[in-house]
Amino acid sequence: MVQIYEYVKMAFSNIKHNKVRSFLTMLGIIIGISSVILIVGIGNGAKNVITSQMSDIGEGQICVYSGDSTDTYYITNKDIEKIKKLDGIKAVSVQDGMQGKVQALKGDFDVNITCVMPDYKYFSNTGIKEGRFFNESEYNAGMPVCTIGEKDAISLFGTTNVVGMKIPVDVYGTNINFKIVGVEKAKSDSFISFDYGEKSVSIVVPETMIRKVYGVEIDNFYAVYILAQKDADTYEVANSVTKMLNNNHKVKADEDIYMVENFSDYMSIVNTVINIVTLIISLIAAISLFVGGIGVMNIMLVSVTERTREIGIRKSLGAKTKSIMLQFLAESVIITLLGGIIGIILGIACATGIASIVSAINPSLAFTPDVGVGAIFVAAAFSSIVGIFFGIYPAKKAAKLSPIEALRRN
Amino acid sequence: MSNLIEIRDMMKIYNPGENEVRALDGINLTVEHGEFVAIVGQSGSGKSTLMNMIGCLDIPTSGTYYLDGKNVEKLKDDQLSEIRNEEIGFIFQGFNLISNLTAIENVELPLIYRRVPAAKRSELSTAALIKVGLEHRMDHRPNQMSGGQQQRVAIARALAAAPPVILADEPTGNLDSKSSKEIMDILRELHSEGRTVILITHDDGIAATAERIIRIMDGKIESDTKAGEKTESDMRMGGQNE
Ligand SMILES: Nc1ncnc2c1ncn2[C@@H]1O[C@H](COP(=O)(O)OP(=O)(O)OP(=O)(O)O)[C@@H](O)[C@H]1O
Ligand SMILES: [Mg+2]
Repeated sequence: MVQIYEYVKMAFSNIKHNKVRSFLTMLGIIIGISSVILIVGIGNGAKNVITSQMSDIGEGQICVYSGDSTDTYYITNKDIEKIKKLDGIKAVSVQDGMQGKVQALKGDFDVNITCVMPDYKYFSNTGIKEGRFFNESEYNAGMPVCTIGEKDAISLFGTTNVVGMKIPVDVYGTNINFKIVGVEKAKSDSFISFDYGEKSVSIVVPETMIRKVYGVEIDNFYAVYILAQKDADTYEVANSVTKMLNNNHKVKADEDIYMVENFSDYMSIVNTVINIVTLIISLIAAISLFVGGIGVMNIMLVSVTERTREIGIRKSLGAKTKSIMLQFLAESVIITLLGGIIGIILGIACATGIASIVSAINPSLAFTPDVGVGAIFVAAAFSSIVGIFFGIYPAKKAAKLSPIEALRRN
Repeated sequence: MSNLIEIRDMMKIYNPGENEVRALDGINLTVEHGEFVAIVGQSGSGKSTLMNMIGCLDIPTSGTYYLDGKNVEKLKDDQLSEIRNEEIGFIFQGFNLISNLTAIENVELPLIYRRVPAAKRSELSTAALIKVGLEHRMDHRPNQMSGGQQQRVAIARALAAAPPVILADEPTGNLDSKSSKEIMDILRELHSEGRTVILITHDDGIAATAERIIRIMDGKIESDTKAGEKTESDMRMGGQNE
């Protein structure tokens, strides 16, 4: 133990006396580790943002629609009630559209009216800023209530404080005074967002409103939107829905009437892209680690070879091969350890710095760097192994020479 | 008790083949415990080569070497390190100081490998440096010292651990006559304490103070005289003078 302390002391004094050499060795390690952390951190951070924004938009969403315009194949309210009872289903809604016009203070606007069921609130990926979604009783009663997007509220009224206000919309000649019950949050903090034109706003209303407009009960829906529960397999859910619809509408076994659009399909495309990106990130990280490793190797090889004479002197004074090895081991461990710590700190600092610069420039691209212990560990382990191996291997070779031979090498 | 050194038919051949150099060419040598031996000879005659062999620093091409009854050829690397550390104090012709270390750190090196505790180490090293007159240069590095001062650090390093055998390759080569005398006094004192001292020198005056003079030429022992005896060449020269 006492001896170990001597070697560590020796190592520190040697590192101090060879500042440039020690620094260059550390630099290789610092560059290797910090670039891995930087690349992986930023890459994963961006990946996380894309994944979470994609899944915010539509994770678990399935659309089942009739591929045949024959009346008997339209989806009915009865179908929907049955779908709600199937396993793994969280929410079901239909979605129908109407067009209207409104005369507001700021001029005439087109109104996109989306007619949905109360479960719509589960599909909304932004959430409510003010007020609430329309409820079950308003839906059943077919009341003229609506929610409006934050931006559209501002377009129409110049404020988002609009709950309780009314929007008089002309829908195909019928005047309906929609009462605003809620304001949906804007999607602007997502870089995947859809925007309609300037002079158009969107409102979401109970689908039962349609009967107010047409004066007839509507029970024919072309499509139904289903939200699967978080842990449910969306493909299984879609299957059970189509099976049920086939049953209800007596579809023959060889006919394909009900079609499925599953958001998981889009997700898997995105995932493939993300995996390719991950692969490229890892490759770049591996290359920078390798380059750093070669730097460390070179300097270690040169510096130990330079010190063959010192090894000869120590040996001639009674150092054993093991003592020489321990001395060089202590030195390379200290250098790689210091370099590793600096590299990790520098890498994280750079990644965080870049992330905050990016979000300052463009908030919609904001992300948090995600390095992960794995990447740090692999980078640190690789650099340390390279540093330590090339720190002691040539030292061992030199220590095996007879002292005179070692003294003569130069 | 066996002889300290017994060398039989030792050869050291560099570059075997075309340009071969027989640095040692059939050396037979016996040194007893407690002797004071001077090795003399022309430059390139093989003195340092022989000294390196005696100090277990190099491996001969052929021949046998018994040190204190042990066959050196049969010893393992670690055992050789132990012998160099504990039995022998080696003063190199080229000093061989470590340039990163201060004088006292250099002197402490053999003591570190001997596992002497730090306090004792610095006490012994300080004493050795004082003995060679370097008490004012203990924290200087080799490149901050004159050749003679470096040589004295190398001597202090060999003395600090008080080994039973001192091998000194030209210890006074870089010193003025006063310092030379001081160093020789130290070596003689060590000898009078019962240590074996083997010394290489160019200086006939210094050689004459030894108990035994071995003259080497072209890797061979040309003469081996105890004090008081006269060599053939001495007698021849003496004859001419008369
Ligand atoms: N590594 C080597 N390779 C080849 N020849 C060598 C080597 N080392 C020594 N020699 C040769 O061996 C011979 C003896 O060298 P050595 O150093 O023993 O001489 P020396 O008697 O100590 O001389 P000096 O008085 O100049 O120190 C010389 O001729 C030298 O050239
Ligand atoms: Mg010599």
